[in-house]
Amino acid sequence: MSAARVAIVQFPGVNCEAETARALARAGLEPELVRWTRPARDLAAFDAYVLPGGFSWQDRVRAGALAAKDPMLDELAARAADGAPVLGICNGAQVLVESGLVPGNGDDVTSGPAPGAGRGEGDQVRVALARNRMPERTGYYTRWVWCRVEDSPCVFTRALEPGTLLPLPVAHGEGRFASAKKGRVAALAEAGQAPLRYAHADGALAEAFPENPNGSDAAVAALCNARGNVLALMPHPERAATLGQVSRAIGGGWGERRDRALAAGDGSAFGDGPGMAIFHGLARFFEAHP
Amino acid sequence: MSAGGKPLAQAFVELVAEDPEATSALAIARARLAAGRRLRSIRRVRVFELAGVLPSRAQLEALLHRSTRFYNPAKERCTVRTAEREPAPFRPEEALVLVLDRGLERRAAGERWWKHETGEKVEVREGTVWALAFEPGEDASARAGELAEVRDRRHGLLANPHFQDWRPGEGASPPWPWIERPRKRAKEDRP
Repeated sequence: MSAARVAIVQFPGVNCEAETARALARAGLEPELVRWTRPARDLAAFDAYVLPGGFSWQDRVRAGALAAKDPMLDELAARAADGAPVLGICNGAQVLVESGLVPGNGDDVTSGPAPGAGRGEGDQVRVALARNRMPERTGYYTRWVWCRVEDSPCVFTRALEPGTLLPLPVAHGEGRFASAKKGRVAALAEAGQAPLRYAHADGALAEAFPENPNGSDAAVAALCNARGNVLALMPHPERAATLGQVSRAIGGGWGERRDRALAAGDGSAFGDGPGMAIFHGLARFFEAHP
Repeated sequence: MSAGGKPLAQAFVELVAEDPEATSALAIARARLAAGRRLRSIRRVRVFELAGVLPSRAQLEALLHRSTRFYNPAKERCTVRTAEREPAPFRPEEALVLVLDRGLERRAAGERWWKHETGEKVEVREGTVWALAFEPGEDASARAGELAEVRDRRHGLLANPHFQDWRPGEGASPPWPWIERPRKRAKEDRP
């Protein structure tokens, strides 16, 4: 069986494409970089899609706002409507939210389906990734956080046991899931569309800074559509692809594994890190749907 | 006067060189959004509103000029307005859209700097003004409104209503005050 082909969609300013490609290849997938200069129709040849992190179009107007209008997003919306997995990481998540692919029209548990939902036209923008809300500071913020896996139909996480804790790095200035409609983000989480939520090291949800690093509603770190095949993920799993990358600020089981691997000096520090769970989730999807 | 009855000043800051952000916004709006097809130009202007005990106009301009909390005089120009009758750096034919990050308009660092320099407590708020000019015959206010609020991939660009507010204005007479005003619409009205 040949490996599933994954397009890494790169707009100008995106800068995490190389490590994303490495993580996908490590999971047994076949990544290929597709730059914005190629025709959008080229995307139809792929099985899955990743929009990596960075600063598409320099975050001009608003993070993700310009890339969201690109013809490539219409093609991605059409492929997503056919069931193809789409993952947006950090800036990629901002693009998916600004383009209305996440949470998607038909996925809005507080309003119900809308005409044209998920068919590339008329995807309403129903949430935002707003500027971080942090006490005594503004702007860009980076740290390692704990993300708790939730019960969800999400393609990328559904093989993981709910309650599993993954330490992952965040690095953004606009990562706060928010909606003008009060309670919408929490309702989406209740409906299983928040497969990862910020948590404390003991697994309790993190509502406050710094464990919730941006003030995200309902401690949401990632939001998906109702079908679970499109995921907007703010943390960077590709930066946690190996054990040796796990921060020294992280304790618990992952910290012990990191310390053992580094002490051994036998190359085991290059073993799978916590971020690989997301990419293996995609590989498992294709094993189940060859 | 501000909405709270305090003395008010507006400072409009614009890049001297061509603004890449406005250039990209213009290109995307023309190419991808029906409301932007007949756009002629877009300019982006940052606006600060200062409310409180303010010094003379000359001192105000000097303070803004020397603080990195407001603008970079090597790259940007600043126009100060201390009364509603004074001109703002917009053309009469331009339709204006002020965009604010809801609840995050205050600039604490600017306020701290001002207090340190002058001993006075002022409130500093910041927003972004998009000045839109259309081809003759276009209903500029209506088209600007359509371009302001994002609804989907085909409609709206300048503000995501899920965390931003936008307020209209006309180039001939920008609102006074503009940032410190009651909100135009209820949050719950949004899609």
